[in-house]
Amino acid sequence: MKEQMNKDWSDDPRITAYALGEMDEAERAAFEEEIRGDEVATALVAELRSLGRELKEEFAGECAPGLSEGHHQRIEAQLTGDSRKSDRSLPLAPWGLALVGVAASAVVAAGMLLAMYSLLGHKTNDLEGTITGALPSSQADEPGKILGGRVIATTGEDGAIGIDFDELYSADADATIEGLPWASTVTIEDGSASYDEFSVTLAHSQHLPEGEVAEVTDLPALKDGQLLFDFSEERIEPRVVMRYSAGLDFGLEARSETRPGSEADWGEADEGNREQYSPIFENAYCLTTQAPLSTFSIDVDTASYANVRRFLDGGSLPPADAVRIEELINYFPYDYENPGSDAPFSVDHEVGACPWEPRHRLVRIGLKGRATHHLERPPSNLVFLVDVSGSMNSPDKLPLLKKALHMLVQQLDARDLISIVVYASAEGVALEPTRCSLGVDIHMALERLSAGGSTNGGAGINLAYEYAMRNFIDGGINRVILATDGDFNVGVTSDGELVRLIEEKAKSGVFLSVLGFGTGNLQDAKMEQLADQGNGNYSYIDSVLEARKVLVEEMGSTLETIAKDVKIQVEFNPVEVKGYRLIGYENRMLAAQDFNDDAVDAGEIGAGHTVTALYEIVPAGAELDVPGVDPLKYQIVTQPSGEAFTGELCNLKLRYKEPDGDTSKLLVFPVTDERKSFEELSADTRWAASVAAFGLVLRDSRYKGTADLAAVSRWAVEAVGEDPGGYRAQFIGLVGKARQLKSR
Amino acid sequence: MTPDDKRREHPDAPWIREVLERYERPLTLYATRLLGDVERARDAVQDTFLRLCNQERMTIEEGIAVWLFTVCRNLCCDVHRKEGRMSQLEDGVADATASATATPDALIETRDNLSRVMETITSLPEKQREVLRLKFQHGLSYKEISRVTQEKIGTVGWLIHEGLKGVREKLAASEVGGLRA
Repeated sequence: MKEQMNKDWSDDPRITAYALGEMDEAERAAFEEEIRGDEVATALVAELRSLGRELKEEFAGECAPGLSEGHHQRIEAQLTGDSRKSDRSLPLAPWGLALVGVAASAVVAAGMLLAMYSLLGHKTNDLEGTITGALPSSQADEPGKILGGRVIATTGEDGAIGIDFDELYSADADATIEGLPWASTVTIEDGSASYDEFSVTLAHSQHLPEGEVAEVTDLPALKDGQLLFDFSEERIEPRVVMRYSAGLDFGLEARSETRPGSEADWGEADEGNREQYSPIFENAYCLTTQAPLSTFSIDVDTASYANVRRFLDGGSLPPADAVRIEELINYFPYDYENPGSDAPFSVDHEVGACPWEPRHRLVRIGLKGRATHHLERPPSNLVFLVDVSGSMNSPDKLPLLKKALHMLVQQLDARDLISIVVYASAEGVALEPTRCSLGVDIHMALERLSAGGSTNGGAGINLAYEYAMRNFIDGGINRVILATDGDFNVGVTSDGELVRLIEEKAKSGVFLSVLGFGTGNLQDAKMEQLADQGNGNYSYIDSVLEARKVLVEEMGSTLETIAKDVKIQVEFNPVEVKGYRLIGYENRMLAAQDFNDDAVDAGEIGAGHTVTALYEIVPAGAELDVPGVDPLKYQIVTQPSGEAFTGELCNLKLRYKEPDGDTSKLLVFPVTDERKSFEELSADTRWAASVAAFGLVLRDSRYKGTADLAAVSRWAVEAVGEDPGGYRAQFIGLVGKARQLKSR
Repeated sequence: MTPDDKRREHPDAPWIREVLERYERPLTLYATRLLGDVERARDAVQDTFLRLCNQERMTIEEGIAVWLFTVCRNLCCDVHRKEGRMSQLEDGVADATASATATPDALIETRDNLSRVMETITSLPEKQREVLRLKFQHGLSYKEISRVTQEKIGTVGWLIHEGLKGVREKLAASEVGGLRA
């Protein structure tokens, strides 16, 4: 076939580029050679050029509105440095170099604080600085106090400057307290320096219920209710708006009314919550006679627990769709038996009475991955993919992220290679692959990261995977660690495209960890989906403590995958089981035939990871109100096999692949019911049941039976066990908070 | 203007006023097409220029058009996001429904007395419309459009190619339809 002659140019964008003069000389010459003698192409070029001219004329004829007088005035005010001309607060002369010393004093319950802080600027509009000071030791153990930290100031869209206190430590949150009273001197070196109005944001979302931002227009302990700004050139005593979270005790009386005009400055704070969760449709009861097989992929994500905790700590109940029960259960370490040498993980199961429905039975399936000793850990090739878009500019995002990554780097050594890729308006490399023996370089590169710009997640992901693949270590840990609030949706990348991209990249053998940060804008569903598709895990980091849990204590399980595509299939015995229901794992359900299909992707298990799943079973003979179907007319009526009368409850099957393998291996365990009461069950099983019940109550599930928070608390207290790390004790505290909130 | 005011005037004020004069209308037009509303578009353009005041002239002067369109576009995207539109309307959905429903762009354009060419433009997917405007209305090159929209140059080329193809096909179809009628 003479392709040249008959070529259909309508699918070749080069012809348009050529017609519009968008080719460089070499391309142009080559293309001209290619279309020489092709009449169709020549005609098309002419047509495109003429169409281009027509469009140009048509567009030029459109009526173009300009700015309004008010808009002009505001811009003019910016240029002349006279903000008083405008009706919105704007910076004064935002250029040149100025020294700013900020003196603030605020009363804390125990006494007077004197705060002086200063700001170190960058070339961008974001300013960063440090607050340091010395704390009278008597105050160090009082919870909820702001004790020190760093400062981040941002120029708002309208030019007003906002200061966020970063790393505000309350004594109960972190031990590294710099102290009070704050005293230090800082310089603004940025071009945009002098402002006649400062907004000081003291929001620490961890303590702050969503949407509750208190505003104080005059601070009783301050001079005339104002912070004193000492501008070097001229002394200005600016009006100061101090915002702080209601959950933090400054000893200041919070006023909830809003200062007129403040919405213009801080529209962000008044904006609705943009967090997004995918709806969860709970697994319903299945009749064993109709659907004897239950198949799902394991899931080691724990993000939902940290997120639920954030809501409760913040004084509100989480939305039902933020509660993924399997992630609550899997947040906790369980003391399952270590695996033998034959499989990368051990499988454990137990059956007993269901605490919230005594007529039902509970089957607990537990997996524990092989733990590797610190020294036996394979070398790693980690690429941090850090979101530095504008939305990350909040104390619980980028600064916490930096802390978290610092902690992780400290765990690594000369075997390990780190690269840092950032993405915002444009993607870029912040650190070329560096051995972790050169820790200082890595720490410095991390410190240099600053937020600004909008997010294009796709481009950064491409670059990060490219780096991971370029330095691929055979038999090592090759992983991209994506740290973001997940707010990718500026610009062009749709969620679907992004997920497909990740799916494609996962085939390269590089795994993915997603670390979620921040509040108010958390794109929970998207991040979980990315982690699931990218052979990865998803953790939500809301505090330094959580960062330590995920990246230090559980570093092995977070980074080192010991088995992938782990699927569970349970065949229930109709002689013993009338119906069953899998608790949680709603978005990890698989079709029965997917179990044996090695092409179907499933969850990964990391070194030392434990994974727990619970089935609620309706025994044969018990009542079960399921709509069911009419008796079938044509089907072959089957009788239970001989095996069905062995008393076995179900047959538990697992499939997994070695991390670099393509063929799955099968493990089979028959499960019998030893008629244990709830109290006779192991502490781990009772703990998992308590956490599941907590999730059911928080979701207000129709399957919660008699469970309420009081019962959850009782069951949990009795199942705490040794509780290494204190996570279970913390859970009991959370149940208490939920009870208080529910009783309101 | 008092001497004091003089001292405080932005050092690049004349240049900024010049840029404002040159780009105010194109940017407002561009933002209006993105947002579907002149007032919000004006706010976005105003904010673009306020940001310009905080930039170092040296670093952006050369690519000022690209800088302005990029910042303006990001601000418009922020507006979209704040209104929750982008998250609800995935790009794919938006594209698929572009010809069926009246998008902001289409709404405005139907109000005008439209030529046939402009009519076909309104029925194109949003992304194609945007790059066609950047190319033919604002005179940006593929490379510049790629920087503004954060698309690869190849993608920009493809979008423009597809956009022009769409216009040609629709014009051809309406001619045939016109003959039959």
